[in-house]
Amino acid sequence: MRNLLFAGMFLLSISCKGQELFSMTEPASNMASGSIAFRIDNSIMDERNTLRTNYHLIPGIRVGVSKKLMISGNIFFNNRTEQLKGEGGNIYAKYRFLSNDAVQKHFRMAAFGTMSFNNSDIHQEEINMYGHNTGFEAGIVATKLLHKVALSSSISFTKAMDNGDGNKFLYGLNNSKAINYSFSIGKLMLPKVYDNYRQTNVNLMLETVGQVNTGSGKYSLDVIPLLQLIFNSESRIDIGYRKQITGNLLRTAPNGFFIRIEHNFFNLF
Amino acid sequence: MKLVFLFFAIILSAVTEAQVTSVSLQASGLTCSMCSNSINKALKTLDFVLNVDADIKTYTFEISFKPGCDIDFDMIRKKVEKAGFAVSSFVATVHFNNIQVKNNKPIIIQDKTFLFVKTKDLILSGEKRIKIIDKGFVSQKENKKNSFLALPPQTYHVSL
Repeated sequence: MRNLLFAGMFLLSISCKGQELFSMTEPASNMASGSIAFRIDNSIMDERNTLRTNYHLIPGIRVGVSKKLMISGNIFFNNRTEQLKGEGGNIYAKYRFLSNDAVQKHFRMAAFGTMSFNNSDIHQEEINMYGHNTGFEAGIVATKLLHKVALSSSISFTKAMDNGDGNKFLYGLNNSKAINYSFSIGKLMLPKVYDNYRQTNVNLMLETVGQVNTGSGKYSLDVIPLLQLIFNSESRIDIGYRKQITGNLLRTAPNGFFIRIEHNFFNLF
Repeated sequence: MKLVFLFFAIILSAVTEAQVTSVSLQASGLTCSMCSNSINKALKTLDFVLNVDADIKTYTFEISFKPGCDIDFDMIRKKVEKAGFAVSSFVATVHFNNIQVKNNKPIIIQDKTFLFVKTKDLILSGEKRIKIIDKGFVSQKENKKNSFLALPPQTYHVSL
């Protein structure tokens, strides 16, 4: 694990360029007003103590409502019942309330919230609004862009409720709340010099995502190194590997690959 | 009171044959080409814009206009802001035809009124670049240094 972290740090340090379109966490910046993006997230996670792979397929739509507000909706599919089955969905909104822009720089802050619905069985203590639990999450995120380096950090409160289809939250009301936090760094590696919109952008990112349960005090901390390619200044592919580095929360499948495909349509309304 | 003066000044101001030929704006708050592209595509949706030539390296956009159309600087600024960014520099290229310019004397060019500030008495001729220096057209840092009164629509403080 130390080697993986070291490799990530090394890759990020060899060039002074970066980006903030993080995979695990949203930056404080929003989409352009009037634009719509479609994305497909794939998580291919190793189930602990078994040879099974948990596959989560999450297609989503994202809409830039105004310069300060964006909303998105996602549908959750999962193969836990041997076949790929729809289990729920979520609605997410983010409002940018602070924006200090300068050439090649910005500091921005945003508030975000999500409401999730899921009718799968509850099989882990970790509270996850992206394909596991019914409930809500609300928080703030701050993002700093410095030339081509981006730094972003978020903190949020999340509350799980009983899932649909009679699937109760098993770990007690007291343990149904948690604090999530994240810190992400990204650098644009290529192109060295911008020339036109068709150049492929290569970004390297390292994200850390943690959770502390406010009832039990149990926690987890993951690191996710990611490679991101942006094509034609419209489409992107993110490929990452999520790895728990420490934690005592019961989790079914914390480690695995993450692949995102996204396409943006600008000025649709 | 100042506004009353301004009102009379505009009535008495020089109406000229000059015209805006292009605008060069620099956007702030971005690095990547996807962000730049969102501004580029947003500017192209304006019906009076003929072409946008983007320099991704310097975050500048050279905007040319369709002949005979009314050019709206505020619409241009709003397009950049709606894409999620800010204008840090807005320079209009104007073709002047022996126009006398004085400090704070309004000059009407097409449907716009320009108040030249920090300017010596000059006679302008040929293509000149004038910088809009009102809030939203300069960087937040530069705006703090200026303390201009809000102006009526299509009226701008400019410097050479």
